[in-house]
Amino acid sequence: MAEPAITVESLKKSFPPARSGWRTFFQPFEKPTAVALAGVSLGVREGEAVALLGTNGAGKSTLLRILATLLVPTSGRARVAGHDTVHESSEVRRRLGYHAGTDHGFYPRLTAWQNLLFFGRLNQLSRSAASQRIATLAGQFQLSEALDRQVRTLSSGTVQRLSLARALLHQPSVLLLDEPTRSLDAIAAAEFRRFLKAEILRKGNTSLLFASHTLPEVEQLADRVAVIDAGRLLACDAPSTLKLSAGASSLEEAFLRLTGREAGAPQNGPAQDNLARKEIEE
Amino acid sequence: MMRALGSIWLFFWRDFIIARTYRTVFVLEAIEALFGAAMFYYVARFVDTPELQHALPQGGSYFAFSLVGFVFLDYLNAALDSFDRSLEEARDSGTLEHLLVTQTSLPVFVAGSAIYPFAATTLRIAVYLAWAALLFGFPVFAANWLAVFAVLVVALLAFSGLGVLSASYLLLFKRGNPAKWFFLGISSVAGGMLFPVSILPDWLQLVARLNPVTYALEALRAALLGGASVAAVWRPLAILLLFAAVILPISMAAFAWALKRTKINGTLSHN
Repeated sequence: MAEPAITVESLKKSFPPARSGWRTFFQPFEKPTAVALAGVSLGVREGEAVALLGTNGAGKSTLLRILATLLVPTSGRARVAGHDTVHESSEVRRRLGYHAGTDHGFYPRLTAWQNLLFFGRLNQLSRSAASQRIATLAGQFQLSEALDRQVRTLSSGTVQRLSLARALLHQPSVLLLDEPTRSLDAIAAAEFRRFLKAEILRKGNTSLLFASHTLPEVEQLADRVAVIDAGRLLACDAPSTLKLSAGASSLEEAFLRLTGREAGAPQNGPAQDNLARKEIEE
Repeated sequence: MMRALGSIWLFFWRDFIIARTYRTVFVLEAIEALFGAAMFYYVARFVDTPELQHALPQGGSYFAFSLVGFVFLDYLNAALDSFDRSLEEARDSGTLEHLLVTQTSLPVFVAGSAIYPFAATTLRIAVYLAWAALLFGFPVFAANWLAVFAVLVVALLAFSGLGVLSASYLLLFKRGNPAKWFFLGISSVAGGMLFPVSILPDWLQLVARLNPVTYALEALRAALLGGASVAAVWRPLAILLLFAAVILPISMAAFAWALKRTKINGTLSHN
């Protein structure tokens, strides 16, 4: 049987408290107490698109960053294409395309083309292969006009598209996207979703794990939706199945019911936080 | 190996293109070098005596002696500073995480961070020496350039280890460069930069003998001012190589450990 594209087993992640002043010197060695993930298990099959749905601070970005080898889990395992994200991180990075939602991480005084060439070549593309790939992606992401301009002169939406193009440059088999359409206008977001569905997911064996707060986007792209709240995986199923099992008419309603946030229900986020924190302290 | 060199070249290309967008800096640095060389020339004219010249290792002018000490300080500064400055820039611009998810190995990432600053420092030193030779009679034709090159490469290797240690500190604690502070502080007194170590009290001479900067400067002055060959400066070169062989693996291990700690604590992108 083929190895799943992504396997996450009982994944826990906690962070030490932030410190200031002289206590900063002890921060790197502090005991982790703030729980971000409290034992998440999840699998993504080859060619499958799975959405991570959750409120701010639910643990979505933490999960993506562990898979991107930018964080080391406190316990549990995460594997990408059969490779452990901690012990075989270089193998993982070879197969990975990563887009962070918050900062775009480009060199502002290099042009868009120079930035893409730099990152493409660091991902072992030859100069000609990288140039060819940049031209293709620039066409697909409407970046052709921007290629010769310094990144500092581009709009945030254009930089967002540039960041998505960078994640796809070396044609990774696993794509991790954190809020991919965050700064895009409605037209660009719709075009990106169409591109992702038609050019990436349908054509190849690329697997996609993405975090989003945009429910129509989740319904349009995801084969399954993983609902995360306070670091716990509450459900993971097809959008239609989620709605059915929650007795909801929309994904939004299903999400609110699953997380106990529907109108009139007690807000259990902080309570779950406390429970998870207690578990760690024990 | 070729792949690693290709990636290091990419870092150089990136930093060169970025530096090219600040063209006036090149001009300003060239003018600064002129003023620097002039300052050392006139200080030397003020303090130079036959007795002082006799006390100097190569027996030349104090101008040449102090200028070599000063340009070496620039090199030492680059070796101690480049890694953490590059890391700080990557962290603040948000490129650090994107670099770390590429297929770039840690040693390549570390070496690539410093390759352009080292090249730029070499160019700056060349400009300094050119001004000094053209306008103030610095004895540039006496040098054995092969030996000078060998000394600078070995010295960079040796002191880069301290720079990488400093970058590890920055990764963990986010601010400060204690290796630079400590090493430059000691070396400015007990390293022979602006005066020969022979004038120091015995205990400071002992400190100077334990300081690799002393050997690097001895070898550099011998090659640059005395025309010594590589064979003639083998002893200080061997000491520097030994220092590099000890400090480089330690510093790389420290950097890998610090990086792992930041991935555990989730502070990789924090500043």
